[in-house]
Amino acid sequence: MKEFLLSDPVTEDFFLFLKNFGHVEILPNVGEGFYKFEKKDCFSIKGLVGDTTLEVRFIPEVMDITVKFLYALFHFYGDGKPDIKTLKQREAGMEKRVNESLYGK
Amino acid sequence: MIYLNNAATSWPKPPEVCMAITRSLAQPVFGSGRTAGSEGEDYITQAREALVQLFHTGPGENWVFTHNATDALNILIPGFIASVEGPCHVITTALDHNSVLRPLHELERAGRITLTVVPFENAKISPDVVRAAICPETRLVVMSHGSNVLGSVQDIHAIGEILHERGIYFIVDGAQTAGHMPVDLGNLPVDAFIFTGHKALFGVPGTGGFYIRDPSRVGTVRYGGTGTDSFSLFQPDEMPDKYEIGTHNYPGLAALAAGIAFVCSAGTAAIAKKGEQQAAYIISELKKEPNIIIYNETPELPIIAFNIEGMENDDVGFVLARAYGVISRTGLHCAPLVHKTLTNGKGCVRVSPSWFTTDGECRVAVKAIREVAQGANSSLNQA
Repeated sequence: MKEFLLSDPVTEDFFLFLKNFGHVEILPNVGEGFYKFEKKDCFSIKGLVGDTTLEVRFIPEVMDITVKFLYALFHFYGDGKPDIKTLKQREAGMEKRVNESLYGK
Repeated sequence: MIYLNNAATSWPKPPEVCMAITRSLAQPVFGSGRTAGSEGEDYITQAREALVQLFHTGPGENWVFTHNATDALNILIPGFIASVEGPCHVITTALDHNSVLRPLHELERAGRITLTVVPFENAKISPDVVRAAICPETRLVVMSHGSNVLGSVQDIHAIGEILHERGIYFIVDGAQTAGHMPVDLGNLPVDAFIFTGHKALFGVPGTGGFYIRDPSRVGTVRYGGTGTDSFSLFQPDEMPDKYEIGTHNYPGLAALAAGIAFVCSAGTAAIAKKGEQQAAYIISELKKEPNIIIYNETPELPIIAFNIEGMENDDVGFVLARAYGVISRTGLHCAPLVHKTLTNGKGCVRVSPSWFTTDGECRVAVKAIREVAQGANSSLNQA
Protein backbone atom coordinates (compact mmCIF):
# COMPACT_ATOMS: atom_id res chain seq x y z
CA MET A 1 0.00 0.00 0.00
CA LYS A 2 1.30 3.45 -0.95
CA GLU A 3 -0.06 6.80 0.01
CA PHE A 4 0.18 9.58 -2.53
CA LEU A 5 0.20 13.17 -1.36
CA LEU A 6 -1.47 15.44 -3.90
CA SER A 7 -0.94 19.11 -4.59
CA ASP A 8 -4.72 19.66 -4.75
CA PRO A 9 -7.64 18.02 -3.00
CA VAL A 10 -9.21 14.95 -4.59
CA THR A 11 -12.23 15.71 -6.79
CA GLU A 12 -15.16 13.68 -8.02
CA ASP A 13 -14.03 14.59 -11.52
CA PHE A 14 -10.76 12.71 -11.07
CA PHE A 15 -12.54 9.46 -10.32
CA LEU A 16 -14.96 10.01 -13.19
CA PHE A 17 -11.87 10.36 -15.41
CA LEU A 18 -10.55 7.05 -14.00
CA LYS A 19 -13.78 5.34 -15.13
CA ASN A 20 -12.19 5.21 -18.59
CA PHE A 21 -9.66 2.68 -17.30
CA GLY A 22 -11.43 0.47 -14.79
CA HIS A 23 -14.26 0.07 -12.32
CA VAL A 24 -15.21 2.98 -10.08
CA GLU A 25 -17.36 2.55 -6.97
CA ILE A 26 -18.96 5.69 -5.56
CA LEU A 27 -20.56 6.31 -2.18
CA PRO A 28 -21.33 10.01 -2.52
CA ASN A 29 -22.86 10.38 0.93
CA VAL A 30 -19.99 8.83 2.87
CA GLY A 31 -17.84 11.65 4.20
CA GLU A 32 -17.63 14.23 1.42
CA GLY A 33 -17.83 11.36 -1.04
CA PHE A 34 -15.92 8.08 -1.01
CA TYR A 35 -14.49 6.79 -4.26
CA LYS A 36 -12.74 3.59 -5.12
CA PHE A 37 -11.14 2.71 -8.44
CA GLU A 38 -10.11 -0.81 -9.31
CA LYS A 39 -7.98 -1.84 -12.23
CA LYS A 40 -7.90 -5.61 -12.27
CA ASP A 41 -4.44 -7.17 -11.93
CA CYS A 42 -2.85 -3.72 -11.56
CA PHE A 43 -3.89 -1.53 -8.65
CA SER A 44 -6.76 0.05 -6.75
CA ILE A 45 -7.13 3.65 -5.61
CA LYS A 46 -9.17 4.91 -2.68
CA GLY A 47 -9.93 8.47 -1.81
CA LEU A 48 -12.29 10.90 -0.18
CA VAL A 49 -13.34 14.05 -1.98
CA GLY A 50 -11.59 17.04 -0.46
CA ASP A 51 -8.72 14.99 0.96
CA THR A 52 -5.20 15.61 -0.32
CA THR A 53 -4.07 12.00 -0.18
CA LEU A 54 -4.93 8.87 -2.11
CA GLU A 55 -4.31 5.31 -1.03
CA VAL A 56 -3.03 3.05 -3.78
CA ARG A 57 -2.69 -0.71 -3.48
CA PHE A 58 -0.56 -2.39 -6.10
CA ILE A 59 -0.33 -6.01 -7.15
CA PRO A 60 3.27 -6.39 -5.96
CA GLU A 61 4.38 -8.80 -8.70
CA VAL A 62 3.71 -6.25 -11.45
CA MET A 63 4.14 -3.00 -9.59
CA ASP A 64 7.22 -2.02 -11.58
CA ILE A 65 5.06 -2.15 -14.72
CA THR A 66 1.86 -0.61 -13.41
CA VAL A 67 3.31 2.25 -11.39
CA LYS A 68 4.38 3.98 -14.59
CA PHE A 69 0.82 3.89 -15.87
CA LEU A 70 -0.43 5.25 -12.54
CA TYR A 71 1.96 8.18 -12.84
CA ALA A 72 0.75 8.73 -16.38
CA LEU A 73 -2.84 8.91 -15.13
CA PHE A 74 -1.86 11.51 -12.53
CA HIS A 75 0.23 13.45 -15.01
CA PHE A 76 -2.29 13.56 -17.83
CA TYR A 77 -5.15 14.43 -15.51
CA GLY A 78 -3.10 17.13 -13.78
CA ASP A 79 -2.38 18.64 -17.17
CA GLY A 80 -6.01 19.72 -17.37
CA LYS A 81 -6.76 18.15 -20.75
CA PRO A 82 -6.36 14.42 -20.31
CA ASP A 83 -5.57 12.73 -23.61
CA ILE A 84 -7.69 9.61 -23.25
CA LYS A 85 -6.61 8.18 -26.61
CA THR A 86 -2.91 8.24 -25.73
CA LEU A 87 -3.60 6.86 -22.26
CA LYS A 88 -5.63 4.02 -23.77
CA GLN A 89 -2.66 3.11 -25.96
CA ARG A 90 -0.37 3.08 -22.91
CA GLU A 91 -2.96 1.07 -21.02
CA ALA A 92 -3.02 -1.59 -23.74
CA GLY A 93 0.77 -1.87 -23.69
CA MET A 94 0.84 -2.10 -19.91
CA GLU A 95 -1.92 -4.74 -19.81
CA LYS A 96 -0.04 -6.86 -22.33
CA ARG A 97 3.08 -6.82 -20.14
CA VAL A 98 1.04 -7.49 -16.99
CA ASN A 99 -0.66 -10.49 -18.60
CA GLU A 100 2.69 -11.85 -19.71
CA SER A 101 4.12 -11.39 -16.26
CA LEU A 102 1.17 -12.80 -14.28
CA TYR A 103 -0.20 -15.45 -16.63
CA GLY A 104 2.56 -16.03 -19.20
CA LYS A 105 0.30 -14.99 -22.11
CA MET B 1 -7.30 11.53 16.58
CA ILE B 2 -9.39 9.04 18.50
CA TYR B 3 -7.36 5.87 18.88
CA LEU B 4 -9.54 2.78 19.11
CA ASN B 5 -7.02 0.11 18.23
CA ASN B 6 -5.96 -0.82 21.74
CA ALA B 7 -6.58 -4.53 21.23
CA ALA B 8 -3.62 -4.37 18.83
CA THR B 9 -1.35 -2.03 20.79
CA SER B 10 -2.42 0.37 23.50
CA TRP B 11 -1.97 4.11 23.12
CA PRO B 12 -1.41 6.45 24.84
CA LYS B 13 0.90 5.02 27.47
CA PRO B 14 0.80 6.31 31.05
CA PRO B 15 3.33 9.12 31.64
CA GLU B 16 5.07 6.87 34.18
CA VAL B 17 5.85 4.40 31.39
CA CYS B 18 7.38 7.06 29.15
CA MET B 19 9.44 8.34 32.07
CA ALA B 20 10.63 4.83 32.93
CA ILE B 21 11.93 4.30 29.40
CA THR B 22 13.72 7.64 29.43
CA ARG B 23 15.23 6.88 32.82
CA SER B 24 16.35 3.42 31.72
CA LEU B 25 18.21 4.89 28.77
CA ALA B 26 19.80 7.63 30.83
CA GLN B 27 21.43 5.26 33.33
CA PRO B 28 23.48 2.08 33.09
CA VAL B 29 21.68 -1.17 33.65
CA PHE B 30 22.17 -3.52 36.56
CA GLY B 31 21.48 -7.16 35.87
CA SER B 32 22.87 -9.92 38.02
CA GLY B 33 25.69 -11.78 36.24
CA ARG B 34 25.86 -9.28 33.41
CA THR B 35 27.72 -6.35 34.94
CA ALA B 36 30.17 -5.74 37.74
CA GLY B 37 28.40 -2.50 38.56
CA SER B 38 25.63 -2.08 41.08
CA GLU B 39 24.64 1.54 40.58
CA GLY B 40 21.85 1.14 38.03
CA GLU B 41 18.35 -0.25 38.35
CA ASP B 42 17.53 -3.94 38.05
CA TYR B 43 14.56 -3.64 35.69
CA ILE B 44 14.40 -7.37 35.12
CA THR B 45 13.72 -8.14 38.76
CA GLN B 46 11.37 -5.18 39.05
CA ALA B 47 9.30 -6.44 36.12
CA ARG B 48 9.18 -9.99 37.50
CA GLU B 49 8.06 -8.76 40.90
CA ALA B 50 5.39 -6.61 39.27
CA LEU B 51 4.03 -9.67 37.43
CA VAL B 52 3.98 -11.72 40.66
CA GLN B 53 1.99 -8.97 42.35
CA LEU B 54 -0.51 -8.50 39.50
CA PHE B 55 -1.21 -12.17 38.84
CA HIS B 56 -0.78 -13.53 42.40
CA THR B 57 1.73 -16.19 41.45
CA GLY B 58 4.62 -18.03 43.02
CA PRO B 59 8.25 -17.09 42.52
CA GLY B 60 9.29 -14.40 40.07
CA GLU B 61 11.77 -16.82 38.50
CA ASN B 62 8.82 -18.68 36.98
CA TRP B 63 8.00 -15.61 34.87
CA VAL B 64 9.97 -15.73 31.64
CA PHE B 65 10.50 -12.74 29.37
CA THR B 66 10.24 -13.07 25.61
CA HIS B 67 9.89 -10.68 22.68
CA ASN B 68 6.07 -10.87 22.70
CA ALA B 69 3.19 -13.31 23.22
CA THR B 70 3.75 -15.07 19.89
CA ASP B 71 7.37 -15.62 20.84
CA ALA B 72 6.28 -17.10 24.17
CA LEU B 73 3.93 -19.54 22.42
CA ASN B 74 6.75 -20.54 20.09
CA ILE B 75 8.81 -21.52 23.12
CA LEU B 76 6.10 -23.23 25.13
CA ILE B 77 4.31 -25.23 22.45
CA PRO B 78 7.35 -26.89 20.80
CA GLY B 79 9.01 -27.16 24.20
CA PHE B 80 6.09 -29.13 25.59
CA ILE B 81 5.75 -31.31 22.49
CA ALA B 82 9.47 -32.13 22.64
CA SER B 83 8.99 -33.49 26.14
CA VAL B 84 6.09 -35.81 25.20
CA GLU B 85 6.79 -39.46 24.51
CA GLY B 86 4.49 -41.35 22.14
CA PRO B 87 1.48 -40.01 20.20
CA CYS B 88 0.45 -36.47 21.01
CA HIS B 89 -3.00 -35.06 20.38
CA VAL B 90 -3.50 -31.33 20.91
CA ILE B 91 -6.71 -29.32 21.20
CA THR B 92 -7.11 -25.67 20.36
CA THR B 93 -10.08 -23.49 19.44
CA ALA B 94 -11.52 -21.66 16.47
CA LEU B 95 -11.35 -18.45 18.48
CA ASP B 96 -7.58 -18.52 18.58
CA HIS B 97 -5.04 -16.21 17.00
CA ASN B 98 -2.48 -17.30 14.42
CA SER B 99 0.11 -17.12 17.19
CA VAL B 100 -1.48 -20.35 18.45
CA LEU B 101 -2.88 -21.77 15.22
CA ARG B 102 0.24 -21.53 13.10
CA PRO B 103 2.70 -23.22 15.48
CA LEU B 104 0.19 -26.03 16.00
CA HIS B 105 -0.60 -26.48 12.32
CA GLU B 106 3.10 -26.54 11.48
CA LEU B 107 3.63 -29.28 14.08
CA GLU B 108 0.67 -31.17 12.64
CA ARG B 109 2.07 -30.85 9.12
CA ALA B 110 5.41 -32.17 10.36
CA GLY B 111 3.62 -35.23 11.76
CA ARG B 112 4.57 -34.40 15.33
CA ILE B 113 0.99 -34.00 16.63
CA THR B 114 -2.61 -34.61 15.73
CA LEU B 115 -4.79 -31.56 16.16
CA THR B 116 -8.42 -30.84 16.95
CA VAL B 117 -9.81 -27.32 16.61
CA VAL B 118 -13.00 -27.04 18.64
CA PRO B 119 -15.71 -24.62 17.50
CA PHE B 120 -17.17 -21.71 19.41
CA GLU B 121 -20.78 -20.83 19.97
CA ASN B 122 -21.97 -17.35 20.93
CA ALA B 123 -18.30 -16.31 21.16
CA LYS B 124 -17.64 -18.95 23.83
CA ILE B 125 -15.80 -22.24 24.05
CA SER B 126 -17.96 -24.62 26.01
CA PRO B 127 -16.06 -26.74 28.56
CA ASP B 128 -18.26 -29.65 27.41
CA VAL B 129 -17.03 -29.25 23.84
CA VAL B 130 -13.43 -29.39 25.06
CA ARG B 131 -14.23 -32.44 27.17
CA ALA B 132 -15.78 -34.17 24.16
CA ALA B 133 -12.68 -33.52 22.06
CA ILE B 134 -10.36 -35.25 24.52
CA CYS B 135 -9.03 -38.64 23.44
CA PRO B 136 -6.57 -41.02 25.14
CA GLU B 137 -3.65 -39.37 23.29
CA THR B 138 -4.57 -35.81 24.28
CA ARG B 139 -1.61 -34.25 26.01
CA LEU B 140 -2.08 -30.52 25.53
CA VAL B 141 -4.72 -27.80 25.20
CA VAL B 142 -3.72 -24.34 24.02
CA MET B 143 -6.35 -21.62 23.91
CA SER B 144 -6.87 -17.90 24.23
CA HIS B 145 -8.32 -16.50 27.43
CA GLY B 146 -9.93 -13.54 25.67
CA SER B 147 -10.88 -13.37 21.99
CA ASN B 148 -9.13 -10.57 20.10
CA VAL B 149 -12.10 -10.32 17.71
CA LEU B 150 -15.14 -10.91 19.88
CA GLY B 151 -13.94 -9.74 23.28
CA SER B 152 -15.33 -12.84 24.95
CA VAL B 153 -13.55 -14.36 27.95
CA GLN B 154 -13.38 -18.13 28.26
CA ASP B 155 -14.06 -20.10 31.39
CA ILE B 156 -10.49 -21.30 31.81
CA HIS B 157 -11.22 -22.38 35.37
CA ALA B 158 -13.81 -24.94 34.31
CA ILE B 159 -11.80 -26.06 31.29
CA GLY B 160 -8.60 -26.30 33.34
CA GLU B 161 -10.30 -28.53 35.92
CA ILE B 162 -11.46 -30.92 33.21
CA LEU B 163 -7.94 -31.07 31.79
CA HIS B 164 -6.14 -31.50 35.07
CA GLU B 165 -8.41 -34.36 36.09
CA ARG B 166 -6.97 -36.12 33.04
CA GLY B 167 -3.36 -34.95 33.38
CA ILE B 168 -3.56 -32.77 30.25
CA TYR B 169 -1.25 -29.76 30.07
CA PHE B 170 -3.01 -26.40 29.73
CA ILE B 171 -1.45 -23.33 28.07
CA VAL B 172 -3.55 -20.17 28.12
CA ASP B 173 -2.87 -17.18 25.87
CA GLY B 174 -3.70 -14.14 27.98
CA ALA B 175 -2.59 -11.52 25.46
CA GLN B 176 -6.02 -9.86 25.51
CA THR B 177 -6.89 -10.27 29.18
CA ALA B 178 -3.65 -9.46 31.00
CA GLY B 179 -4.23 -6.02 32.51
CA HIS B 180 -7.82 -5.80 31.30
CA MET B 181 -9.37 -7.83 34.09
CA PRO B 182 -8.38 -9.54 37.32
CA VAL B 183 -6.51 -12.78 36.60
CA ASP B 184 -5.61 -14.78 39.69
CA LEU B 185 -3.13 -17.38 38.51
CA GLY B 186 -2.70 -18.52 42.09
CA ASN B 187 -6.20 -20.02 41.89
CA LEU B 188 -6.54 -20.98 38.24
CA PRO B 189 -5.81 -24.52 37.02
CA VAL B 190 -3.49 -23.27 34.31
CA ASP B 191 -0.01 -24.66 33.64
CA ALA B 192 1.35 -21.79 31.60
CA PHE B 193 -0.05 -18.32 31.01
CA ILE B 194 1.14 -16.01 28.24
CA PHE B 195 1.09 -12.23 28.34
CA THR B 196 2.17 -9.41 26.10
CA GLY B 197 3.57 -6.13 27.38
CA HIS B 198 2.25 -3.67 24.83
CA LYS B 199 -1.52 -4.05 25.16
CA ALA B 200 -3.38 -3.58 28.46
CA LEU B 201 -0.23 -3.76 30.57
CA PHE B 202 0.73 -0.45 28.92
CA GLY B 203 4.30 -1.46 28.15
CA VAL B 204 5.90 -1.21 24.74
CA PRO B 205 6.15 -3.59 21.76
CA GLY B 206 9.00 -6.07 22.08
CA THR B 207 8.01 -7.28 25.53
CA GLY B 208 6.01 -10.29 26.59
CA GLY B 209 6.49 -13.62 28.23
CA PHE B 210 4.90 -16.40 30.19
CA TYR B 211 4.36 -17.83 33.65
CA ILE B 212 5.11 -21.51 33.99
CA ARG B 213 4.02 -23.41 37.06
CA ASP B 214 6.27 -26.45 36.66
CA PRO B 215 9.21 -25.88 34.31
CA SER B 216 10.13 -29.57 34.33
CA ARG B 217 7.16 -30.22 31.99
CA VAL B 218 8.42 -28.08 29.11
CA GLY B 219 11.69 -28.67 27.31
CA THR B 220 14.13 -26.04 26.16
CA VAL B 221 14.07 -25.07 22.50
CA ARG B 222 16.43 -22.09 22.56
CA TYR B 223 19.96 -21.99 23.75
CA GLY B 224 22.49 -19.29 24.53
CA GLY B 225 24.09 -17.03 27.06
CA THR B 226 22.40 -16.37 30.37
CA GLY B 227 25.11 -14.67 32.40
CA THR B 228 25.10 -17.69 34.73
CA ASP B 229 26.86 -21.07 34.85
CA SER B 230 28.92 -19.86 31.91
CA PHE B 231 31.48 -22.67 32.04
CA SER B 232 28.76 -25.15 31.09
CA LEU B 233 28.29 -25.67 27.36
CA PHE B 234 24.68 -26.70 27.93
CA GLN B 235 21.60 -24.67 28.77
CA PRO B 236 21.11 -24.31 32.55
CA ASP B 237 18.05 -25.97 34.07
CA GLU B 238 17.55 -23.17 36.58
CA MET B 239 14.74 -20.69 36.11
CA PRO B 240 14.44 -18.42 34.27
CA ASP B 241 17.71 -19.21 32.49
CA LYS B 242 16.21 -22.41 31.12
CA TYR B 243 14.18 -20.30 28.66
CA GLU B 244 15.60 -16.75 28.80
CA ILE B 245 18.63 -16.26 26.60
CA GLY B 246 20.60 -13.27 25.41
CA THR B 247 20.48 -9.67 26.53
CA HIS B 248 17.17 -8.48 27.89
CA ASN B 249 15.14 -5.60 26.54
CA TYR B 250 15.98 -3.32 29.47
CA PRO B 251 14.00 -0.24 28.36
CA GLY B 252 11.08 -2.52 27.51
CA LEU B 253 11.16 -4.21 30.90
CA ALA B 254 11.45 -0.85 32.66
CA ALA B 255 8.32 0.19 30.75
CA LEU B 256 6.59 -3.08 31.61
CA ALA B 257 7.27 -2.68 35.33
CA ALA B 258 5.93 0.88 35.21
CA GLY B 259 2.92 -0.18 33.15
CA ILE B 260 2.01 -2.95 35.57
CA ALA B 261 2.43 -0.58 38.50
CA PHE B 262 -0.01 1.74 36.75
CA VAL B 263 -2.51 -1.10 36.21
CA CYS B 264 -2.22 -2.09 39.87
CA SER B 265 -2.84 1.47 41.02
CA ALA B 266 -5.88 1.86 38.75
CA GLY B 267 -7.11 -1.62 39.70
CA THR B 268 -7.98 -4.34 37.21
CA ALA B 269 -11.57 -4.50 38.47
CA ALA B 270 -12.05 -0.79 37.73
CA ILE B 271 -10.35 -1.18 34.34
CA ALA B 272 -12.60 -4.11 33.47
CA LYS B 273 -15.74 -2.26 34.56
CA LYS B 274 -14.94 0.83 32.51
CA GLY B 275 -14.13 -1.28 29.46
CA GLU B 276 -17.39 -3.20 29.70
CA GLN B 277 -19.41 0.00 30.11
CA GLN B 278 -17.82 1.69 27.12
CA ALA B 279 -18.24 -1.39 24.96
CA ALA B 280 -21.90 -1.67 25.99
CA TYR B 281 -22.47 2.00 25.14
CA ILE B 282 -20.81 1.73 21.72
CA ILE B 283 -22.80 -1.41 20.88
CA SER B 284 -26.10 0.08 22.03
CA GLU B 285 -25.53 3.08 19.75
CA LEU B 286 -24.36 1.08 16.74
CA LYS B 287 -27.43 -1.15 17.03
CA LYS B 288 -29.56 1.87 16.14
CA GLU B 289 -28.34 1.67 12.55
CA PRO B 290 -30.09 -1.13 10.67
CA ASN B 291 -27.19 -1.62 8.27
CA ILE B 292 -24.56 -2.16 10.96
CA ILE B 293 -23.90 -5.83 11.63
CA ILE B 294 -22.50 -6.37 15.13
CA TYR B 295 -20.78 -9.68 15.74
CA ASN B 296 -20.46 -9.48 19.52
CA GLU B 297 -23.29 -7.90 21.45
CA THR B 298 -22.06 -8.71 24.97
CA PRO B 299 -18.27 -8.65 25.07
CA GLU B 300 -16.50 -8.85 28.42
CA LEU B 301 -13.48 -7.05 26.99
CA PRO B 302 -13.67 -3.61 25.34
CA ILE B 303 -13.71 -4.98 21.80
CA ILE B 304 -16.48 -4.36 19.30
CA ALA B 305 -16.56 -6.14 15.94
CA PHE B 306 -18.86 -4.94 13.18
CA ASN B 307 -19.43 -4.41 9.49
CA ILE B 308 -21.48 -1.90 7.54
CA GLU B 309 -23.65 -3.43 4.82
CA GLY B 310 -22.59 -2.38 1.35
CA MET B 311 -19.06 -1.39 2.36
CA GLU B 312 -15.90 -3.43 2.66
CA ASN B 313 -14.48 -3.36 6.18
CA ASP B 314 -11.21 -1.94 4.90
CA ASP B 315 -13.10 0.96 3.30
CA VAL B 316 -14.95 1.68 6.53
CA GLY B 317 -11.63 1.85 8.38
CA PHE B 318 -10.23 4.11 5.67
CA VAL B 319 -13.15 6.54 5.87
CA LEU B 320 -13.20 6.55 9.68
CA ALA B 321 -9.49 7.38 9.77
CA ARG B 322 -9.39 9.94 6.97
CA ALA B 323 -12.69 11.73 7.41
CA TYR B 324 -13.13 11.47 11.18
CA GLY B 325 -9.73 10.69 12.67
CA VAL B 326 -11.05 7.49 14.27
CA ILE B 327 -8.45 4.73 14.23
CA SER B 328 -9.79 1.18 14.06
CA ARG B 329 -8.42 -2.14 12.89
CA THR B 330 -9.89 -3.90 9.87
CA GLY B 331 -9.46 -7.28 8.23
CA LEU B 332 -9.01 -10.70 9.78
CA HIS B 333 -7.17 -9.67 12.96
CA CYS B 334 -4.89 -12.73 12.60
CA ALA B 335 -7.85 -14.88 13.65
CA PRO B 336 -8.85 -16.59 10.40
CA LEU B 337 -11.14 -19.22 11.88
CA VAL B 338 -13.26 -16.67 13.72
CA HIS B 339 -13.82 -14.84 10.47
CA LYS B 340 -14.41 -18.01 8.51
CA THR B 341 -17.36 -18.62 10.84
CA LEU B 342 -18.65 -15.08 11.30
CA THR B 343 -17.85 -13.06 8.20
CA ASN B 344 -17.38 -15.70 5.54
CA GLY B 345 -13.70 -14.89 5.59
CA LYS B 346 -14.18 -11.24 4.67
CA GLY B 347 -13.14 -9.73 7.98
CA CYS B 348 -14.66 -6.84 9.87
CA VAL B 349 -13.97 -3.54 11.60
CA ARG B 350 -12.80 -3.73 15.20
CA VAL B 351 -12.84 -0.85 17.63
CA SER B 352 -11.21 -1.26 21.03
CA PRO B 353 -11.04 1.51 23.63
CA SER B 354 -8.64 1.50 26.55
CA TRP B 355 -8.53 2.84 30.09
CA PHE B 356 -7.46 6.16 28.60
CA THR B 357 -10.36 6.43 26.15
CA THR B 358 -12.83 8.99 27.40
CA ASP B 359 -16.60 8.66 27.22
CA GLY B 360 -16.57 11.78 25.05
CA GLU B 361 -14.26 10.07 22.56
CA CYS B 362 -16.61 7.08 22.48
CA ARG B 363 -19.52 9.41 21.69
CA VAL B 364 -17.63 11.09 18.84
CA ALA B 365 -16.48 7.73 17.44
CA VAL B 366 -19.99 6.30 17.58
CA LYS B 367 -21.37 9.36 15.81
CA ALA B 368 -18.74 8.93 13.10
CA ILE B 369 -19.50 5.24 12.59
CA ARG B 370 -23.22 5.93 12.47
CA GLU B 371 -22.69 8.72 9.93
CA VAL B 372 -20.67 6.41 7.70
CA ALA B 373 -23.39 3.77 7.97
CA GLN B 374 -26.10 6.30 7.15
CA GLY B 375 -24.03 7.63 4.25
CA ALA B 376 -23.49 4.14 2.88
CA ASN B 377 -27.18 3.38 3.20
CA SER B 378 -28.34 6.53 1.42
CA SER B 379 -25.62 6.21 -1.26
CA LEU B 380 -26.66 2.67 -2.05
CA ASN B 381 -30.33 3.63 -2.11
CA GLN B 382 -29.52 6.45 -4.56
CA ALA B 383 -27.74 4.02 -6.85
